[in-house]
Amino acid sequence: MPDPITLAVLQNRLAAITAEMGEAMLRTSYSQILNSSRDFSIALIDAKARLIAQADHIPVHVGALPSAVRGLLEAFPAPENGAVYLLNDPYFGGSHLPDLTIFIPVFTGSGPRLFSVVRAHQSDIGGATHGAYNAAATEIWQEGLRIPPILLSERGRLREDIVAMLAANVRHARDFRGDLAAMIGAARLGAARIEATLAEFGAATLAEAIEAILDGAERGARQIVSAWRDGTYEGEAVLDDDGHGRSDIHIRARVIKQGSSVTVDLSHSDPESTGFVNSSYANMHSSVAMAFAFLLDPELPRNDGAFRPLRVIAKPGTIVWANPPAPVTLCTSHCANEIVEAVIAALAPACPDRAMAGWSRRFRIAIDGMDPRTRRRFIWHLFQARPGGGASSAGDGWPTAGEWHSAGGLKFGSIEVTEVRFPLFFEQHEFRPRSGGAGKHRGGAGSTLRVRVETAGPARANTAGDGIRHGARGILGGEDGAPHDYRLAAPGAPPRAITTKETGIVIPPGSRLLIESSGGGGWGNPAERDPAALARDAAEERA
Amino acid sequence: MSRSFAIGIDVGGTFTDIVLAAPLGQIATAKAPTTPADQTEGVLAALALAAAEIDLSLSDLLAATEQILHGTTIATNALIEGKIARVGLITTEGHRDVIEMREGLKPERYNLRLPPPAPLVPRSLRIPVRERIRADGSIAIPLDRASLDSALERLAAAEVEALAICFLHSWRNPAHEAEAASRARARLPGAYVSASAEVLPEIKEFDRFCTAVANAAVGPIVRDYLARLEQRLVAAGFSGSLLVMLSHGGLADIAEAGRLAAGTVLSGPAGGVAAGAALSRHGLGPSLVTFDMGGTSTDIALIQDGRPRLAVPRGLGEARIALPSLDIATLGAGGGSIARIDPSGLLQVGPESAGADPGPACYGKGAGLATLTDANLVLGLIDPEHFLGGRQRLDLAAAERALAPLAARLGLSLEETAAGIHRLVNARMADGLRLATVRRGVDPRPFTLLAFGGAAGLHATAVASALGIAAVALPLDASVLSAWGMLHTDIRLELSRTRLDPAGIEAEKLAADFAAMEKEGRERLAWFDGPLSFRRSADMRYGEQVFEISVPLDGLDWSSPMLESDIAARFHDRHEALYTYALRDESVVAVNLRLSVIGALPDLIPARLAAGPPASPVAERRIVLSLPQIVPVYEFAALRAGQELSGPALIESPGTTILLRPHDSARLDDRGWLSLCPARCETRP
Repeated sequence: MPDPITLAVLQNRLAAITAEMGEAMLRTSYSQILNSSRDFSIALIDAKARLIAQADHIPVHVGALPSAVRGLLEAFPAPENGAVYLLNDPYFGGSHLPDLTIFIPVFTGSGPRLFSVVRAHQSDIGGATHGAYNAAATEIWQEGLRIPPILLSERGRLREDIVAMLAANVRHARDFRGDLAAMIGAARLGAARIEATLAEFGAATLAEAIEAILDGAERGARQIVSAWRDGTYEGEAVLDDDGHGRSDIHIRARVIKQGSSVTVDLSHSDPESTGFVNSSYANMHSSVAMAFAFLLDPELPRNDGAFRPLRVIAKPGTIVWANPPAPVTLCTSHCANEIVEAVIAALAPACPDRAMAGWSRRFRIAIDGMDPRTRRRFIWHLFQARPGGGASSAGDGWPTAGEWHSAGGLKFGSIEVTEVRFPLFFEQHEFRPRSGGAGKHRGGAGSTLRVRVETAGPARANTAGDGIRHGARGILGGEDGAPHDYRLAAPGAPPRAITTKETGIVIPPGSRLLIESSGGGGWGNPAERDPAALARDAAEERA
Repeated sequence: MSRSFAIGIDVGGTFTDIVLAAPLGQIATAKAPTTPADQTEGVLAALALAAAEIDLSLSDLLAATEQILHGTTIATNALIEGKIARVGLITTEGHRDVIEMREGLKPERYNLRLPPPAPLVPRSLRIPVRERIRADGSIAIPLDRASLDSALERLAAAEVEALAICFLHSWRNPAHEAEAASRARARLPGAYVSASAEVLPEIKEFDRFCTAVANAAVGPIVRDYLARLEQRLVAAGFSGSLLVMLSHGGLADIAEAGRLAAGTVLSGPAGGVAAGAALSRHGLGPSLVTFDMGGTSTDIALIQDGRPRLAVPRGLGEARIALPSLDIATLGAGGGSIARIDPSGLLQVGPESAGADPGPACYGKGAGLATLTDANLVLGLIDPEHFLGGRQRLDLAAAERALAPLAARLGLSLEETAAGIHRLVNARMADGLRLATVRRGVDPRPFTLLAFGGAAGLHATAVASALGIAAVALPLDASVLSAWGMLHTDIRLELSRTRLDPAGIEAEKLAADFAAMEKEGRERLAWFDGPLSFRRSADMRYGEQVFEISVPLDGLDWSSPMLESDIAARFHDRHEALYTYALRDESVVAVNLRLSVIGALPDLIPARLAAGPPASPVAERRIVLSLPQIVPVYEFAALRAGQELSGPALIESPGTTILLRPHDSARLDDRGWLSLCPARCETRP
């Protein structure tokens, strides 16, 4: 067993390696979704598929990466040191098709066998519609290119023929190649840093240190969980619909908390759907892990040890674990958000000071049209109108900080830049008053967005998301946040509601989008709200 | 007496440092305690000490002083402590929440129990006014006087001390902001008014609005402080010019510093970086990493080709400031960092710090928290009798008491625990420094580590060897280096404007914009009688990209018929250097044009140290590294030029102690710095 100082040094070192890999990714990736929205994740995972260290990027990715390593090991039981492996298929360990995962094994000598892992969301992955979110899909082949675990390199060089084949199947081949190169570069950097650490400390010391670091995180997590009230708890969250005629799809969590262990049983969730709101196994597992991590201390390392107190039970063929070939692309937001919310709502009575009220649902909209100023076609993705975060024992929810799965990690762009680049005019973009659920602590506000589409001819829009009927959940007496309300006001016509899974919406020139995004859930009894906070809410026209 | 002295003054958290340069390169230094209630007190006290050093009265010294170059932490402290002016915001109707929406971002991804912080301007003081300018600068809604006047009435009634005026697209057309600012100045004559396009005439409303708000929040405080300081200096006999260090590493007169108050937040650390640039010119080589390890944190900056890098934007407390500023990375570890056991049972150091008050346990001021300084004291690396040149005695027993509970939890001896804290900090510094350089696309190994600040000397060679850095330099005046750096800085004005031509680069318009900016620069620096030089650059990107990169445009032939393709080629080359590829057929957009206007102050003649017989150790001390050992102790000031030392040894100066580890070697350069060669470096010079 290494001395406590070496342990502390190595724990910091492993975290620093993942941070450095993340920086390399940020600097070298090409597409906006990676270098601006930062939709990627980094981890070091061992050959027993245990998460050793991770960089804090996208919470919904992190608990999913061990499943991806498991999928890789099933296909390649003896991975080659230094080779490059790739995977995206949710039925072979991936989460959903747009997320590509690169693995580079560092399997040298007698040292711990580690994978340097990089996952990144691609702006397109082929399939029937642009941008990967196909609300009309009823089977996975309509969602994009499937990549089960493959070996991408041969004798130290990338297989250019395979890269060309992959690039030929996506819409933005240049972005795809640039981002893939960035992912491989970051993973190689991680592998090199692991090798340097092995050389510095020795294989045996690193292996023992990893066990001790994981055990330490497990002790920390168990100590936290032990303080929660024992019992069996039920929580649920509801999806509005699947876009194929089914409404109110229930995600049900039965959570048994006993001693220092937590068992989450999702098997009573509703059956799988025809549409893309289904979850893959990896995404389901990750969503539960994310909920659990949100309830621990933020400074506890999020590694395999921290998740040892957690056991997950689910049933294939349900909405949280679909059977092939069901489509799953929306799952990293829906039903991931509902899984998180059901688990946290269940555990709220067990650990009221740790549980937070519901964060919001995603509702994306993309407009395709012609800019009359440049006569060029444009595609605009809505990132403004961020919804609100949930309240907690510590205070009110963050306004316009987003959904469970992004939790304040998704940036929206400048309105000035948007108006320069797109034929859009933003009349209003402000907090939406009274949108956060009432409570002792109020949910964070969503947004009011009024934007005029200044095209010369009609434009078209697609949507993907949920949450126009069910708002972010209030807990412990707090009220739910107001749900999303998106409308389209065409000139001379009454405003009409936009739903969350529509394709080909026609937008006449001069139309206005009237968007009210959802607020976060409230925490605790509204009657207990501090009078000073109530006065401030009124003075600031928030509630 | 002719006015021939220049004086650098750096007001730090604990001490106010002075470096005084006389015409022939002689240098005197002085230190006085900083006086937080009114920093001018400490400045005058330090000046009096400096005058005494060279046997002059304060008034004689000030009368003979041409320039006073000043670094201040007034704005920084106000923002960190939240002691800011009461600010009102006047903004475009429909967009009053820009500063609090924070572009949708929240820090600490896994901390969902983090309450949102209060913005610098509460929503009730963010007043919408009816007006709107379009992206092309045309007016969609004229400025509504009635709505403006009623907003001003509300803010007058709320007794705001400062006003930020932030309208959409003022980067393109500032007319509405200018009109609102002029009516605001008339209606609220005492208030500090900051219009966003006056502060930062660039596109991207979140950065511009936040910068204007931060400027208003510290504006009255900085302006009043500088006025008071000038008044006191003049009353004491000063008739030269008072210049203030700005965050971008250049100097400005006090009118400009008062107008651009948010541009002073890095005023202090900028002095250290300026010193690095000066030492680089004076023989330390073109590539330096400055490593300023103080009480609560460690500041790191890169100097490449002799020049520091600029970066935007920067967060400080709840403020966000997008003015060009030195690219300084801060690690949360310094001498006062607190050692503790984390939830998984491992030892951690920082980021919490005991600060100056109560300070480390060995200061004996209560709390008794175990810090890095306590660990270094227990290891024998710091002399309890000679800390800060003997001005503060340290309590070894208190340090041991503070470390005892940690030692018990870890199952280690006191000395093992202290050695562990010391080693963990070295490792964290190396990891952090590697990340800070990698983030900037730089491999740290070929750089020289320039170490200064109170805590750097004990850790510099260990950090360097962990990174594979082969050269460490530690200046003799390390403890007053920021003040010294101010003496080696130029006057500087940073101008910018947003261009954004949808059709790509239009060279004629670009040239015309640069010419107009040059004219503005000459006018604004008309008070300066020396020669001006100009540096041009542009923030550019491919049409479809989101992020711009900074592209230097010096040395272009602005009358060339090929100007457009020359500028595009500069961008492609820079893109390829940064990201390994260029898309030479893609259209290129210039977003912001930047002009640095530089007024060179005369370079000081560096003093040469005398050679002589090598100094002998002044003492021996028992220290603990991996094992206890007896090492010689040298006095830094007694070393002679060219003298060589080898580790293990300690070298003490009033501001810091330098540890030579076993097999480290050191040599005193005749220009006044110690060149250290870490034991485990991969290549030796």
